[in-house]
Amino acid sequence: MQAADVVARVHAAAADHEPLRIVGRGGWLHGGRPVSATQRIELSALSGITEYSPDDFTMTVGAGTTLAEIDAAARAHGQWLPLDPAGDGTGSIGATVATASAGPLATGFGRPRDHLLGIEFVNGHGAVIKGGGRVMKNVAGFDLVRLTTGAWGTLGIITSVTLRLRATVPGESLVAPLEAVPEAIERAASGLRHLAVPPLAAELVGSPLAAAMGLPGHTALLVRVGGNAQSIHAQRAALCALAPFQTADDATWHRLRASGGAADAVWRLSDRISRFAETWAAAGVATDMAGGGMLHGSPLLGVVRCMVPAGREGNAATRVAHAVAHPFAGRQVGEALPEGAWRAVPGTAGNDLSRRLRAAFDPAGILNPGIMGELT
Amino acid sequence: MAVHPLPAPVPARGLDPALITRLSAIVGDRRVLVAQRELEVYGSDGLPSYHRRPACAVFPGTREQVVAVVRALAEAGVPFVPRGAGTGLSGGALADSTVLLGLNRLNRILSLDPDARLATVEPGVVNVALSRAAAPYGLHYAPDPSSQAACTVGGNVAENAGGPHCLKYGVTTNHVVALTVVLPDGRVTTLGDPDGEVDGYDLVGAFVGSEGCFGVVLDVTLRLTPMPQAVRTLLADFTSLDAAAHAVAAIVASGIVPAALEMLDAPTIRMVEASIYAAGYPVDAAGVLLIELDGALAGLEEDVLAVETVCRAHGARAVRVARDEAERARLWQGRKKAFGAMGRLSPHLVVQDAVVPRSRLPAVLGSIQAIADRHGVMVCNVFHAGDGNLHPNIAYDANDAEESARVHDAMREIMESCIAAGGTITGEHGVGLDKLPYMDAIFSADSLRAMCDLRNVFDPDHRANPGKVVPVHACREWHMAPAARRAVEPGGAC
Repeated sequence: MQAADVVARVHAAAADHEPLRIVGRGGWLHGGRPVSATQRIELSALSGITEYSPDDFTMTVGAGTTLAEIDAAARAHGQWLPLDPAGDGTGSIGATVATASAGPLATGFGRPRDHLLGIEFVNGHGAVIKGGGRVMKNVAGFDLVRLTTGAWGTLGIITSVTLRLRATVPGESLVAPLEAVPEAIERAASGLRHLAVPPLAAELVGSPLAAAMGLPGHTALLVRVGGNAQSIHAQRAALCALAPFQTADDATWHRLRASGGAADAVWRLSDRISRFAETWAAAGVATDMAGGGMLHGSPLLGVVRCMVPAGREGNAATRVAHAVAHPFAGRQVGEALPEGAWRAVPGTAGNDLSRRLRAAFDPAGILNPGIMGELT
Repeated sequence: MAVHPLPAPVPARGLDPALITRLSAIVGDRRVLVAQRELEVYGSDGLPSYHRRPACAVFPGTREQVVAVVRALAEAGVPFVPRGAGTGLSGGALADSTVLLGLNRLNRILSLDPDARLATVEPGVVNVALSRAAAPYGLHYAPDPSSQAACTVGGNVAENAGGPHCLKYGVTTNHVVALTVVLPDGRVTTLGDPDGEVDGYDLVGAFVGSEGCFGVVLDVTLRLTPMPQAVRTLLADFTSLDAAAHAVAAIVASGIVPAALEMLDAPTIRMVEASIYAAGYPVDAAGVLLIELDGALAGLEEDVLAVETVCRAHGARAVRVARDEAERARLWQGRKKAFGAMGRLSPHLVVQDAVVPRSRLPAVLGSIQAIADRHGVMVCNVFHAGDGNLHPNIAYDANDAEESARVHDAMREIMESCIAAGGTITGEHGVGLDKLPYMDAIFSADSLRAMCDLRNVFDPDHRANPGKVVPVHACREWHMAPAARRAVEPGGAC
């Protein structure tokens, strides 16, 4: 499969008025986003590394390439892509970019928009568009790279991306039990903000999840630090002044990434980092309203992720919808929700600029129509 | 909501006196300039090669005045060009016989939340003033273009400005959280959100770097960065530019991320040392690397030692570590004022901003030298080596037609050589007018058309900074609607 095949599918879809459901490797299909498509285009065949220049720390890959394949190739050269969205590495880079998915490492390295140097996509006109390039800094023309990152395929089907890799550095994972009271959460969040070296990742893990992952305490704070030996030693000492940290197994992070797999509803609450304790508390309330579930979140990003397991009763979706819509000072974003609950997520995709953008890039409305909520 | 169709753009030379009256009523008589001699100073930006005089310059003092001015211009169908301090290096802030909208009076820091590490500022706030305001809280605004003592945050947003410390901390777009903008049709809208994640298109990402073509910033919320606990600045001295370039690659490959990794070549060093900005660079070196490492004190000396070792292994004659803040400031002054030092040499300066894959630096620096020799011009290289962002500059006298021709031929060949190496035409200065002729060389017609489509979303009438960024022949309208073509001149931009 090549970009030309995607072009042919887009032209045919437009001519036949048969909208496309864009699928990378299928990891998001359970998310329940209300897409009104009559056919699928799967991009798993658009897979593989087309160019890797270790000296430049750049890699160009097909959209269907798995994160695991990228990771294996990069690590052979002492490099990595510090991007760890939920799942297990079998997800595609195309879907990761299209959904702007990130994980705990976003704390230290940013989100997909920060890792992308270039992008190739096929827009709704059936044209192959390239944005950015394969250099570290680029302001040539308008920013089509960030425009299409997180657009869920609605502005174009991503066919290839050029990534900025980093050198792997020695690191250490640490974990400490915390009391599940707001004062302790606030103290930990504030302490993390004032560390001399920001950690690469820092996740607060709530009680049922911490227990399921075998972490100490009612609530656990999981941290990843990196640097040279002296730096790691000092970072560990600074953390130990905050809480009784111990060395954690690096595989803990994999368990955290995989933790949402059994959940039927996953959504995030976010606010200013200074209000993390309030966000954490609000997420606890919302999760309880939905029937109970698991929480983890980054105090340094100000984001908490709520995961609610399968509800068998008929009113499960309604409960989740109420929980997601529960008033909160910050913002809510859905990841995976029961079909009826999507309406509860307040989005901005319905504003006039977004509608015009959609119309300009996909005039026939054939690319994942409905996936961004209010757009259709 | 319904958008009223606006009249086609009209050239603003000889603006309707009624419009001038209306603008004066909004901002006051003294804030509307129409006299030729007063407008002269707004005819250029930081790149003196271009001169375009506006028909009128308007300087609102409040956001309400900005909105009122933009609405008045929308109703009159008159194009405009937003401008901050005019320090840009691409000819982007020039208003050719249209209205220049000066935003430098909107210079208030509206809020600074040290716990959330966010500041909301008006577009006319000077870059360094924000860092100064954040300093008491142990914070700073990380992007630091060389013009940071004068350039405005609004201009930084428009250009997606960089700076030496962007190697570690990222460029402007990595620091913008939210924007309130007035669109060219006069509607005010908010992009992004300081209070959490946004579900929807990354309109902040689209707006940052749009070079004034998408609207006017009324306020911007920026992320502030903690000041590093300690800073070490090194000067590594090389007898070969090629060796210095290889040292750059080796430092980056080591996994240490310097806060800055800058290179200055021999002509630049000599020019700086002959100026009032003399920094104590070795005048007999073929090139120097100015390397800054920052972070926590613990582990910093080990990184300094590691970088020093890499430099020596790649042939550095000497590696000096600044002993105190005064020496550090002096080393940086030579770098940041290098453009100023070049200004002493000749009245005009061409500045390039290409970026190449870092591994191609040695080869590209060699090509640049060969091109310069062939055309008998002197190139001064002073640039962000760590991210491959070149600034080959040539000082010359634009009144000398023969010299100008040689300089421009050399510059074109240098650009072509950077593009051939897999590079891009601008890393932080923007396309503006200056890089417009090269857009076709790096983007396909379809990709340029997509950029036009994006511009049309924000400014369907092409009244905001017309003639910049995307060549006009790339636009859908150019091919589809002959009527729309009359408003723009061939070879210009959409």
